[in-house]
Amino acid sequence: MKENQKTVIDVGDGAAIPTRKDRDLFTAWRIAFVGALFALVGLVSFNPEVYWEGLKYLSDGVLITFQVTLASILCALIIGLFVGLGRVSRIRVIALAASTYVEVIRGIPLLVQLFYIYYALGQFVKIPPLPSAIIAMSICYGAYMGEIFRAGIESIDKGQTEASLSLGMNRSETMIYVVLPQALRTILPPVGNEFIALLKDSSLVSIIAVADILRRAREFSSTSFYVFETYTLVAVVYLLITLILSKIVGVMEERLGQHERR
Amino acid sequence: MAKKILAALLIVAVVCGAAFAAGKKRTITFATDATWPPMEFMDAKKQITGFSIDYMTAAAKEAGFDAKFQATAWDGIFGGLEAGQYDAVCSSVSITEERKKTMAFSEPYYQVKQAVVVPKGKKIKALKDLAGKDVGSQISTTGTFAVQEEKSVKSKTYDDVGLAFEDLYNGRIAAVVCDDVVASQYALRTPKYSGKFVIGLVIQSKTAEYYGIAVKKDNAEVLALVNKGIAAVKKKGIDKKLQQKWMGGKK
Repeated sequence: MKENQKTVIDVGDGAAIPTRKDRDLFTAWRIAFVGALFALVGLVSFNPEVYWEGLKYLSDGVLITFQVTLASILCALIIGLFVGLGRVSRIRVIALAASTYVEVIRGIPLLVQLFYIYYALGQFVKIPPLPSAIIAMSICYGAYMGEIFRAGIESIDKGQTEASLSLGMNRSETMIYVVLPQALRTILPPVGNEFIALLKDSSLVSIIAVADILRRAREFSSTSFYVFETYTLVAVVYLLITLILSKIVGVMEERLGQHERR
Repeated sequence: MAKKILAALLIVAVVCGAAFAAGKKRTITFATDATWPPMEFMDAKKQITGFSIDYMTAAAKEAGFDAKFQATAWDGIFGGLEAGQYDAVCSSVSITEERKKTMAFSEPYYQVKQAVVVPKGKKIKALKDLAGKDVGSQISTTGTFAVQEEKSVKSKTYDDVGLAFEDLYNGRIAAVVCDDVVASQYALRTPKYSGKFVIGLVIQSKTAEYYGIAVKKDNAEVLALVNKGIAAVKKKGIDKKLQQKWMGGKK
């Protein structure tokens, strides 16, 4: 009898059902495994030296891609916050300006915006390639983020605003202390999605000769003549960076959602 | 009005600058799409190098200006020139009548022919032999113009000439048309492609095709300096040495 009891207790202590966090980790590892397999197949069936040379050549492009992505994410978040607030503003002019911005920018492809800011605007103000890229990407993604922020703000029940107003807070205090913190939780998953989309779209900046991963890949493939291998390498590098980014977003979601788990 | 004032200020600035900087070297910025070996490409240390680069550096030395090279994507390279992002384009730009309408060209510095690269074993006498088939080239290069001139074939354009060759390798297109120096690099000196491709045809055009330095239409100052340099390089025979260095004994 005594032994039986012990067994029962042991089973109860062990983590038989994986928690959500564990499952996330599994997914991440699975994808990483597929990525590694991808790379390995490439290495075995083709010339490994080409991959190694290519990786060395691409390395500073990875850094530039990171720079462009992170700087654009930060700027786009700030723009997005203000545009989102502007969209729900009770002042007509601000609301109109914000929605015009969203409609116009959302309707023009990023590639065209890049060309426009670098070449067309270049006739008046000379902006070097890297800042031009960051500006174009921030403006473009600011519009998308703005819509996400608006949706998040609007998802918070009116009662919350009314309650805090009747507690004696003014409108901006209500927004900062009551609505926004709650909206943040709704906003985070789609924002994380935008992060990853932005990272991949940053490959477009190679068109204005920013030395990002894709630009370096073009140079490498044109001198080494290994076109297929180069782009396999590019795919794997992007995949790995994306995994890191989605992991970061996942951790942030976990932290914010902790007290709210249902 | 503002533009006029700006122009006036600019002229004043240039004149003053010239007066002040007597003896100080003028820097000319050349845009170059470094994906066109052996004319201009990135070496392993990510420095722009190649025949055109050496040529212009030598020309700069002869004519007494500083040459700075700026990596630029081929798409929009002429847009950037128009916008004034740089002074000149040194990127294997062929001198054509169409291009002359929107920009000015220096004296030619290299003669080039359009080569048609086909899979080994395929024999063609003219582009017409590929009637109805897809022929690839890099977008808005003279290769594309040559393909489009022959109406019977379908023109397919790529961002990079390397992508066109990859499609040829995969058997999706029948031929690639590009400058002969680049074609011979791809067809003969690449382990992956050599033995699979041959230069099937060098297109005989009515007028000879030359590379030139493109500058903004009314930029006579830069044009004069570049021309002076090119003339000196030719006179001293430096161009022959460079050809030896980058293309081997060919030509």
